[in-house]
Amino acid sequence: MLKRTEGIVIRTVPYGEADLIVTYLTPDFGILKVFAKSPRKFKSRFGGSLEPLTQSKISFWGREDAPLPRLTQSDILNSFQPLREEFSSFLKLSEILELILSFLPERDANKMAYALLLNTLHTIKEKQNDTLLMTSFKIKFLHLVGFAPRLDSCGRCGKHGYSFYLAQGSIMCEGCAQRIDSPVKISPAAVQFYSDLLTWDIMKVNRIRPSGALLEEISNLITMHIRYILSKPLKTESFSLKQSHHKIQS
Amino acid sequence: MKQGIIENLIAELTKLPGIGRRTAQRLAFFILAMPDEEAKGISRAIDEVKNNARFCRECFNITEDEVCSICSNPSRDRSRICVVEEPSNIFVVERSKSFDGVYHVLLGSLSPIDGMTPDRLKIHELIERVRKNSVQEVILATNPNTKGEMTAQYVRELLKPFFVKVTRIAYGLPIGGDIEFADEATLSKAIQGRRDF
Ligand SMILES: [Zn+2]
Ligand SMILES: [Zn+2]
Repeated sequence: MLKRTEGIVIRTVPYGEADLIVTYLTPDFGILKVFAKSPRKFKSRFGGSLEPLTQSKISFWGREDAPLPRLTQSDILNSFQPLREEFSSFLKLSEILELILSFLPERDANKMAYALLLNTLHTIKEKQNDTLLMTSFKIKFLHLVGFAPRLDSCGRCGKHGYSFYLAQGSIMCEGCAQRIDSPVKISPAAVQFYSDLLTWDIMKVNRIRPSGALLEEISNLITMHIRYILSKPLKTESFSLKQSHHKIQS
Repeated sequence: MKQGIIENLIAELTKLPGIGRRTAQRLAFFILAMPDEEAKGISRAIDEVKNNARFCRECFNITEDEVCSICSNPSRDRSRICVVEEPSNIFVVERSKSFDGVYHVLLGSLSPIDGMTPDRLKIHELIERVRKNSVQEVILATNPNTKGEMTAQYVRELLKPFFVKVTRIAYGLPIGGDIEFADEATLSKAIQGRRDF
């Protein structure tokens, strides 16, 4: 059966001599893996449309339960080429692509996640420090998939508190925590900033100017929280570490 | 004749790229009809490759010796290194007869999402070659896709302290094609990479 949707390329994996397995995020099918015949050949009709971050209209063919339907057409809606031009900006974007792959199941429609990614890609400006935008994406995305850390009040009784417990994914008041493990202290400003980021439109987030320290506090907390949930750091995170290590060596 | 052995050969041949069931069948019966020596020549050649192929100590090309035939050829220009992702890429550049320098194979490309980090490629070895030899130019001939481009940019940054000329193969449209059919990503790269004419 032929199906049509649109999608954003999250990842491609070479298959055989010249084929690719392409993972899309689509509004109608969520994460969708398709098989693309010969896109690596220069004469391929897919051209440059299967590069990561490209938004395309796609058609694919396969039985309802086929694990790997075949991509029959992909017409670029937005190539987002500038976002792949710079190593450092692509590295940051790889982190959110990996997050999407880690949390979203296959074939589960998710219009919100799709819209969030698309709006984020439209908002990124070249050669700009995007830590605010990336952090904002992560918070909104975690909220969408039900894994956002709870910072407004104690996860057990609802009282106020400023100690975050990774294992609970939540703030806990002194009474409820009873020294479970060592908490991460959070400033009241960070708690407020976090709730603002949750509600603000991602396409307007670039208008606010939080202090470097505040942004770092929240972005570190989110990184720790993600690492705890996945019980390992994101591959992209270890890439950045190894990259700086390599530079020092040579 | 036992049915199993020819079936087995067909099954083995279908593992090769571009070989479907029908072609495998044709090849299997062709091999069966071949003179003994010729058919065994094929299996010997496969054996030899699998037993003796290793990476060149200098450039990580495939070779049966310590150093590959390109690195050991005195007429090659050792001051220019063409960097490619895979050993098979060397064959393609050689076929174009447009390069008389030497090569360096990275054995892959960088991809953060796949955990392909710099330490898994032969990048450090390339930097060492540039450091120790009088290299004039490093030509980055990694693939014209995101992974290849990221790899090229990464290597360029590491080469900066050596004041060596670093070039990147041009992005362009395939020869014989029609602009009408180029996608926007390819065309925008081709326009960015235009040259004086
Ligand atoms: Zn409590
Ligand atoms: Zn060699």
